[in-house]
Amino acid sequence: MSITDRIARGLESGWKVTDGATLTANQTHEVDVVVIGTGAGGGTTAEILARSGLSVILVEEGRLYYQKDFKMNELDAYASLYQEGMSRVTKDGAISILQGRCVGGSTTVNWTSSFRTPEPTLNWWGSRFGLADLSPDAMKPWFDGREERHNIEPWKAAPNQNNDILRQGCEKLGWSWQIIPRNVKGCWNLGYCGVGCPTNAKQGALTTTIPGALDNDATLFHGLRADKLVVKQDRIDHLKASAMAADGVTPSGVTVELRARHFVVAASAIGSPGLLLRSDIPDPHDRIGKRTFIHPVNATIAEMPDTVDPYYGAPQSIYSDEFNFTGGVDGPAGFKMEVPPLHPAMSAGVVPGHGEEQKRNLAKLPRMNSVLALMRDGFHPESPGGTVSLRDDCSPVLDYPVTDYLWRGLREAFYKMAEIQFAAGAKKVRLMHLDSPWFSSWSDTRKGIDELAMKIHRVKLFTAHQMGGCGMGHDPSESVVNGFGEHHHLSNLSVHDASIFPTSIGANPQLSVYALAARNSTRLASKLRS
Amino acid sequence: MPERTPSPATMDRRSFLRTGMGGALFLGTVSVTAGLSGCATSPAGQGYATLTGASHSNYQFRFLTLDDIVLFEALLPALVGPTLTEEPDQRRAQIGDTIERIDAGIHQFGPANQKELRGLFDLLNFSVTRVTVARVWSSWANASSADVDAFLNRWRTSSIGLFNNGYIALTKVSNVAFYGHEDHWPVSGYPGPPQWAVDALPQFKANA
Repeated sequence: MSITDRIARGLESGWKVTDGATLTANQTHEVDVVVIGTGAGGGTTAEILARSGLSVILVEEGRLYYQKDFKMNELDAYASLYQEGMSRVTKDGAISILQGRCVGGSTTVNWTSSFRTPEPTLNWWGSRFGLADLSPDAMKPWFDGREERHNIEPWKAAPNQNNDILRQGCEKLGWSWQIIPRNVKGCWNLGYCGVGCPTNAKQGALTTTIPGALDNDATLFHGLRADKLVVKQDRIDHLKASAMAADGVTPSGVTVELRARHFVVAASAIGSPGLLLRSDIPDPHDRIGKRTFIHPVNATIAEMPDTVDPYYGAPQSIYSDEFNFTGGVDGPAGFKMEVPPLHPAMSAGVVPGHGEEQKRNLAKLPRMNSVLALMRDGFHPESPGGTVSLRDDCSPVLDYPVTDYLWRGLREAFYKMAEIQFAAGAKKVRLMHLDSPWFSSWSDTRKGIDELAMKIHRVKLFTAHQMGGCGMGHDPSESVVNGFGEHHHLSNLSVHDASIFPTSIGANPQLSVYALAARNSTRLASKLRS
Repeated sequence: MPERTPSPATMDRRSFLRTGMGGALFLGTVSVTAGLSGCATSPAGQGYATLTGASHSNYQFRFLTLDDIVLFEALLPALVGPTLTEEPDQRRAQIGDTIERIDAGIHQFGPANQKELRGLFDLLNFSVTRVTVARVWSSWANASSADVDAFLNRWRTSSIGLFNNGYIALTKVSNVAFYGHEDHWPVSGYPGPPQWAVDALPQFKANA
């Protein structure tokens, strides 16, 4: 394994990597830049800064897992690689939050879909938030560069059956569909992206920018939780962090103090506002944690006449934007349609039911297809997003009220997804809704959707994309950072992750994070070098 | 059991439970009360063996209490029972293994969600709230599969979001721990990771 595995080889060659669980004494370290978070934003930032010759410490709350640990096993992966052991939900429990918590962050467990930020989104940011510097033309070289770095290109192999059902349905209905660009190199087409790529084919942070940073002398602490940035006058003085025990969830009692000239926060749209709130960062307009977006997801499942094997093959290779921007960028809630992979633990957890009913549901798995819709939230006045706040124990929690505007979009998406599945030959379709039966025809389904309550705790809702909460903008009264991710008030603080998006993206966000982090880190490196 | 006319006190509690915050506070109160009234409140450790009188395994419980184990022994036959084998010893072992995996999963949930689940399990274990809120009249050890199924359906169809959440929480942790495990993949027809890939990858080699 050491011959082919980038991490194993690097560790053998003497990378500076410390597992917080092995620390026995409190300690202090000092570097040029401390980067908090190792996902799409943190990894990109650390590599660019380290390559420019700056000394960098990367801090990751989760643990380092790599090829030796990736055994295509759902239960192990959900417990170790995801936030709160895959039990993270919004404050009222209505929306399940899928989010990585490991070195590489969500890029270690995502399904590899890699889209440029849609042009209407960038143009909207320009006109609405004073971010004209992020125009599609200005961003093009950054997307080009990151597509090369992460080997992003449209999937060349045939889509698996699960994805092909989305293609066939759209084709029959005359709706547009496209091939998804993926960040993979030498992909075996197995279908286990969500539980840690077993072949190192996925070109997420774990196999690209993190090794790139460590090769350039950066230091990585994993199993180390960033507790608080300590402010002195108009600067961050140091970061206080707590080492976690080997179980990854219990603080060991050992603390680490990290001093630096500059601090980059890239701890996700829930983690970054959480850290800033814990740190009492100046926030005169009460913006930290506000306007948090999640691409609320609803889904339908179909029983197909033939084998689908929805657990095998590249999990996402086809999408449809037929209803994404067609109502105008700030019109009725638009949505992107994709399919999720279906493995048994995930399916048993998201398909509601118990007893004999659930046994019959799950027995359909080999012939099951699912379509999901990602609501494009944050573009309309009736879609103001959610709010991140701190619980009693200072951990962050997201409150996300689902507005009537979004319910209209979710209902519309139910119609379209079911119509696609029947058009592709489904025998039966069921909504991910507590009260949905299995419908046997499109007309019955349409009537059913007319009548089913669109309410929290009835509709099963999910999010795999967390954005906003430290929004960027020209005007400090409605944003936390400027268009370069620089904090409006503290001169040595930047935010380099999806939390700076002023709206959702309208597409899977990883490439948007890579590109913005690359642009902003390149500027930061030249500022710190001069 | 005939539907009783709700007393004013019950009505107050119901409207109280409708708000998420009220629900959280209420569950917190139950946890305290449950502790004072003799419910088991510490993790069961190796208690499974103690409880069943059989040496099931050496698994060390880190979250579930002895009362929680009894609760899940009652819930699982209704939650996943139709897929369990009939043979009594094997059936007991399948239930025991699943409860251990539920405990292992919850350990990774972290403090905030553990607190929520503690409240839920205490509410179900504490006899007063078991009867008044869950409306299960006999102790869990004596509850029939039909009693449990009726309880689950009440919470599933309830107009009170907190109970829907309780239903989702109980079914999710149980369904994931059961259907997600290799032993039960045949129930869903999932063949497991492709054997050719397992054979080719270094992490599956004995010395990896």
